[in-house]
Amino acid sequence: MQEFLNGIAKSWQGYGMAFLSGAKNTLLISLVGTLIGCLIGFAVGAVQTIPTSKGDPFWKKILLGAANAILKVYVELFRGTPMIVQSMFIYYGAKMLFNIHMDPLFAGFLIVSINTGAYMAETVRGGILSIDPGQTEAAKAIGMTHAQTMTSVIFPQAFRNIIPQIGNNFIINIKDTAVLSVISVTDLFFEYKSATGALYTYFESACIVMLIYLVMTVTSSALLRLLESRLDGDDSYDLNTTDTLAYTSGLLSYRPKKRAEEPDNKEAEK
Amino acid sequence: MSEPILEVSHLGKSFGNHEVLCDIDFSVSKGDVVSILGVSGSGKSTLLRCINLLETPSSGNIYYHGQDICERGFSLTSYRAKVGMVFQSFNLFANLTVLENCIVGQRKVLRRSKEEAEEKAKFYLEKVGMLPYISAKPRQLSGGQKQRVAIARALAMEPEVLLFDEPTSALDPQMVGEVLAVMRRLASEGLTMIVVTHEMAFARDVSTRVVFMKDGVICEEGTPEDIFVNPKKEETKEFLARFIN
Repeated sequence: MQEFLNGIAKSWQGYGMAFLSGAKNTLLISLVGTLIGCLIGFAVGAVQTIPTSKGDPFWKKILLGAANAILKVYVELFRGTPMIVQSMFIYYGAKMLFNIHMDPLFAGFLIVSINTGAYMAETVRGGILSIDPGQTEAAKAIGMTHAQTMTSVIFPQAFRNIIPQIGNNFIINIKDTAVLSVISVTDLFFEYKSATGALYTYFESACIVMLIYLVMTVTSSALLRLLESRLDGDDSYDLNTTDTLAYTSGLLSYRPKKRAEEPDNKEAEK
Repeated sequence: MSEPILEVSHLGKSFGNHEVLCDIDFSVSKGDVVSILGVSGSGKSTLLRCINLLETPSSGNIYYHGQDICERGFSLTSYRAKVGMVFQSFNLFANLTVLENCIVGQRKVLRRSKEEAEEKAKFYLEKVGMLPYISAKPRQLSGGQKQRVAIARALAMEPEVLLFDEPTSALDPQMVGEVLAVMRRLASEGLTMIVVTHEMAFARDVSTRVVFMKDGVICEEGTPEDIFVNPKKEETKEFLARFIN
């Protein structure tokens, strides 16, 4: 036991700051990757749900068909291969084919974004399809275009519905960025490998790193829950009238209001 | 009579091999309140949805002020802004408040200013008795209230014709009353309406014209008196006998 505690202390003293800066990078990559991934997801989901009808002009059908085919390949390619291989493929591919030396951190942003985007595309599509088509029809019936309907009515609701999935992706990303250490992104796992390489504290460092990962993921899920309940808004609403007869039972709150003159009354009693 | 606003001629609609509407002819002029009656599945709702082009007709034409709405280059969005629709299932925008529901179309389609849109929205919400609820979300309202908001949303676009697709079928009797009261008021103010309904009393008392449909064709058409007091066709008599008691 003593030996274990000594090992913890040794790893923390030697690599504590490195772990924290690694955690910072992990969090940064996950955050940026999830945000950009969501944007990609919404863009792809939006294109994939554009309705077509028989009367559409020829060029629109061709264009949409081509776009959908490309997007399908994108989604299948990045969902269907491991991120660890994708990161090698992109990082070394850019170097060999285009002579681009990517900054590892930038490569991290890119890979996680593209990867998350592929998953989010399907999630967003599901979110859009989950909104009652009656609302789309109602928007159509007052003359709104497809794009207007999407931005004013469907997207906000789809977004609310897929927040749990976005949270899921964010937490998966926090953990999966560990694979980016193969292209020497200095994330938390990369720092773990450095620490163990120098100190041989395999188990002790793992304990510390586990704990840091856990703190990040648990905090994130709590924050996301908070965001969700914020977006849902209050369950009560104010009636826009001064006529108290308009209030039906149960709408009035009986919370006693603090009166300004109260302190004065007390003083008077004294 | 003045020139018709809407004219439906030889309209047909089929879903695959199933023919839902066949050779429908009728027209609507300013101030008309047309009730469309018929059993479920007789094509009433499909007819209404064709008029708003939510369904594309398979054959025939629909003329709006003499202009064919199925023609290429016809501005569908501005046509729809002129021909409002109220649905059986309300279809309010769940993410927007009552007021925003009535504003969004005016802002996006009619490009009205924020102030003007808000003023109009409030005016029509007051008309349907929903002004106190402007900050509520649809999920917080009862069915009848939702439908009244939906009517206000359609009215806020200031349409020439308002289509009602069984507006009271999803409501309990008490709420049916509040929605019908609003519709009666609108009719008395001269709004042109086409109403698909099962409310016989409304059809009899409020309509200027009644259309009875059966199996995708117009079986009989006439004034409420023609249809309710002196129906000529056997089918109409049978339908009324079943519905009125």
